[in-house]
Parts: sequence; C-alpha cells; structure tokens
Amino acid sequence: MKTAELPRWQAFVQRHFAVLFIAACLVVFVAVVELFASVLVQRVVTEALIRIVIVVGIYVFTGNSGIISFGSVTFMAVAAYATGWQTCCAMLKPITMSGLPSILRDHTYPVYVSAATSVGLAALLAFITGLILMRLSGLAASISTLAILFILNVTYSNWETVTMGTASMVGLPTYITPWLALAAALLAVLCAWIFQNSARGLLLRASRADEVAAAACGVSLYWSRLIAFTLSGAIMGLAGVLSAHFLGTVSINSYFLNLTFLALAMLVVGGMKSLSGAVVGVIVVSTIIDVFRRIEVGIPVGDVTFSLPPGTQELVLAGVMIIILMFRKDGLMGGQEFRLPVRFLRQHRRSLEAKDT
Amino acid sequence: MSQPGDITLEARNIHVAFGGIHALSGVDLTVSRGIVQGLIGPNGAGKTTLVNVLSGFQSPTRGHVILKDRDVSQDGPQKMARAGVGRSFQAARLFQDLTVSQNLMTAAIGTGLGMAAARERSESVLEWMELSHLAEQMGGSLSYGDERRISIARALALNPHFLLLDEPASGMNDAECQTLMRLIRDIPARFECGVLLIEHNMEVIMGVCQRVHVLDGGRSLAEGSPQEVQNNPDVRRAYLGDDAGNEAA
Repeated sequence: MKTAELPRWQAFVQRHFAVLFIAACLVVFVAVVELFASVLVQRVVTEALIRIVIVVGIYVFTGNSGIISFGSVTFMAVAAYATGWQTCCAMLKPITMSGLPSILRDHTYPVYVSAATSVGLAALLAFITGLILMRLSGLAASISTLAILFILNVTYSNWETVTMGTASMVGLPTYITPWLALAAALLAVLCAWIFQNSARGLLLRASRADEVAAAACGVSLYWSRLIAFTLSGAIMGLAGVLSAHFLGTVSINSYFLNLTFLALAMLVVGGMKSLSGAVVGVIVVSTIIDVFRRIEVGIPVGDVTFSLPPGTQELVLAGVMIIILMFRKDGLMGGQEFRLPVRFLRQHRRSLEAKDT
Repeated sequence: MSQPGDITLEARNIHVAFGGIHALSGVDLTVSRGIVQGLIGPNGAGKTTLVNVLSGFQSPTRGHVILKDRDVSQDGPQKMARAGVGRSFQAARLFQDLTVSQNLMTAAIGTGLGMAAARERSESVLEWMELSHLAEQMGGSLSYGDERRISIARALALNPHFLLLDEPASGMNDAECQTLMRLIRDIPARFECGVLLIEHNMEVIMGVCQRVHVLDGGRSLAEGSPQEVQNNPDVRRAYLGDDAGNEAA
C-alpha cells in the first residue's frame, strides 16, 4: 500500500507504527504498575526496562550488521564505573580509590552531569575500538569484541587503586524510578529506530543480508558499521549508568559473561533482525526469569509451600531458547516489526477508493 | 565501435589464474555506451570471471581494466559500482529482509544519494520497468522471474555507465524472455549506458545484441555482429564440436 495515498498523519503512523506501538505499550504498562503494583513489582519492572536499554543497545549493532557482538557489555561497565567515580562516596573515595585523579577523587558531580559524561565516554571508547574492529567481518569481528570484554574485565579486576578490583563500589545515589527507566528505554528505542531507518542503517541491513550484493551496490561497510558500533556503545553506556544508579553498587563481575549471554538470549528469543523482536525478547525472558525466580523461592498454596529447585529458571530459559532456535530461528517476531493489522489497512484502502469514486 | 572521447570500459590483455588454472588468458574486450554487447561461450569459458574482473570482484593476475581512461584494475567492487559499473549475478542475490524499494534504494544510496533522492530514483526505475506494484514486497517473497527483474532494477538504480548482466534469462519461460529482451534493448537509450550481457539463450543474444564477443577456454575466440559470430566456424566448433566447425567451413 502506498503511504502517499494516505493523509500525512496516517502515513506517519503507518510508517512508524512499530515504535509508536512499543512506546504506547510501555507507557501504559509502567503507568499501571506505578498506580497499582507493589514496590517489589515496580523494581522488577524497572529492571526489565533497563534490560530493554541493554538489548536495544546490542541490537543497534548486532541486529543491523548481523555481526554478533559479545563485547557490548564492556561499554556498560565503562559508563557504570565512570558515573560511580563521579557520584559516589566522597568520604571513602580517597581511601578506597586512591589512584583516581584528583578531579574525580576529591570532587562529587551532579548525577545528570555524570550520566552525560559517562555515556559520552562509553561512546568514545566504542568509536576508538571500532576504528580497529570494524575492519573485520563475520566471526573474526565477533571474537574481537569478546577480546575487548576480556581486556576490560582483566584490567578493571586488577586495577585496585582505581576500581577497587573485584570488590563492589558502593554508595552510589539510587535515583532510577520506573518513569526514568521508561524514559531511557524510550530514548534507546527511538535512537535505534531512527538509525535503522536512516541511509546508514539501510546499507548496514543490506550488508547483513548479502555482503557480496551490497558491495556490488557500492556499499562501503566500514563507516556504517563504525557509526552503528558507536551508537550501540552510547546506548550501552546509558544502560550502565541506569544499572549503577538502580542498584547503588558497581562490580566488574556484574558486567561479564553472564549478562552478555542473558542479553544475547533475549535478542535471540525475540528475534535479532527487528527492534520489535529485541523488545519482545526482553519482556518474554524477563517474565520467565521473574516467574521461576519466585517459584524457586517458594509459593504458598494453602498450608503447603510449592517450590522448584534452584537453577530451574536457567534450565527453563535454555529450553525456551532451544525450542525457539529449532522451530522459529528468526525469533518470536520472525524478523518483522509490529505492523498495523492488515484488516485495518484493507478497510482504509477501500474507504479511500470509495472517496475517490 | 567506440569513438575517441567516448566513455568505455576496457579489458586489456586480462589474465586470471587460480593456482595452476588459467581462467582467462590475454582477453581484450571493450564495452561501449549506447549498445548491448553479448558475451558468450561454452561452460567454463571464463565469462563470469571476466565480468568479475570488470566489476572489481576479481583482480586480474596480469593486464588492465580501463574505465574513462583510468586504470581501475585494483579498485574493489564498491569503487567500481560508485564509478558507474553496475552488475547483476547469476543468482538474483536480493536483500531478502528488505523491501523491493529498499533493495533499489540501497544501490542509489551507495552512489552517494540521500534517502529522499534514493527513494525517488527507486520509484522512477520501478515505474520504468513496470514493477511499481512490487515496491513494498519483501525481497524474499518474490517469484523467480520477478527476482531476476528486480536484480536488474537494483543494478540500474546505480544509474550506471555500464551494466553487466550475468545470465539474466536463466530459468525464465518464453514469455518472460520476450519481456526481458524488450527491457534490455531499451536500457542503453533510457540510461545512456552500455550493457554487457552474458547469456546461454542464443535467441536472447541474437535478439538484443549489436555486437557479440566469444570466449572459449579463457581466450577470445571471435568478435563481431551476431550474424558474423553465428557463421564463424570456430564458434560453431567451440559450441558443437569439431564436426560442426568443419561442415561450416
């Protein structure tokens, strides 16, 4: 159906339906949770919204380029530590992180200033590493991103005077509310949507489908990939700031393989070829995790407490992934974005044709 | 033939060797704008290798590719596409997850256009090829014949000076072949470009080409008008065996 036939606002809704639908669902969901749910549920929802930022951050590069990035969590860690250095524990910093430069060790900065600089630092690091890594393709590129993750993990784990090594940095201000997490998730979704519909995004998606044909179309992959990698780094940085100020602590072990594979599992379950898939994957996997986490703890049914053995949630998640990979390899969304229902489009077309005649 | 000042795409003394196998040995070929030139030969003659060389996908072991009086032998496929050499492949190789319109826009953006201009060019090419009704369909959902035509449309969206078509009629039925022949015949005038056409279907070659170049075993065997080539005993021998060549002689 040609969007040119429709009034302007309807064409806009049709073209951007996926992002509008995602935004509307998330806003309604958070509003309901804020009004009616317990604090515990609000925390679960906030955590899920932060995961949306993480998975969308990975999607921006991995989904568009087809290169699986195992190292995106690196930029999350960089931003989390950066915001920690700027905002935490003025009294303790000179003792526990004596190796920090004076400008960080002896000063504390407003949370929004630290958030902006931390996101900027993550984006800058992504850009610099991308200058080298984006010359690689396929598996080599994927493994090299994993190498970046290991380099950061080993460095931060052993840089005790600056990062406190493997110990947790505590005392960060906790200011992340469900609404703030929602705003960040919407910002991440919007950035991803704008990028994937831009010229660079289109070239990158073409190269994902067929690198040889893309080359025959004059597509140079390097800059498109570098821009996607940098934007992905910035969004991961935002996720790092959110998680640091949601938990109030930063620990290098929180930003390693567990989180990497959980985020990739979410992307696989939803479908890594679409933004809608990334968001759906987070919601489905987060729901599975939360439900089974509660059952593991124990649910009282009358006089009996029903519970499952610890580790059940991981087993169920693994089972879900295997089933999806077997029967729906493009994920729950099948690589498609949310679209206006076909029936609506047909009805609308008929009414337009009736008007014309 | 090309005149001084004309833009041409030339292969000069091209050699390509894969290990000990010589795919091309001293091939000379000039593609001129404004005409359709056929490139024929038995299987394994080196036709696709030559197209790969001309489009930057394969560097020649020896020899030069000259485009607009510049040696572009070492330029990669991206540079060649941006310099005005478009190509299609034996398999359609559409971007399956993108719409037809986006497939064409990718090529237009590859030449440096912005989104709006790329969309305009995509619409214009689809309209000219009478394929506008496919614009919003996904690349992976097309019929075989449509896939082949869209792969040509995508190459045309580069607005090329030279269009290299690798067996565009393979697998098409008679009616589809006739439509394709009309289309290829009209391309040079509409896009002011030259077309190099690899094809096994001799009806297509005879029906649309002004000149034909014949390869056999990686060497140039003959070049001339379709009639001259058809009556050339060496060509008949290459296609049909020694007896056919002797009878014709």
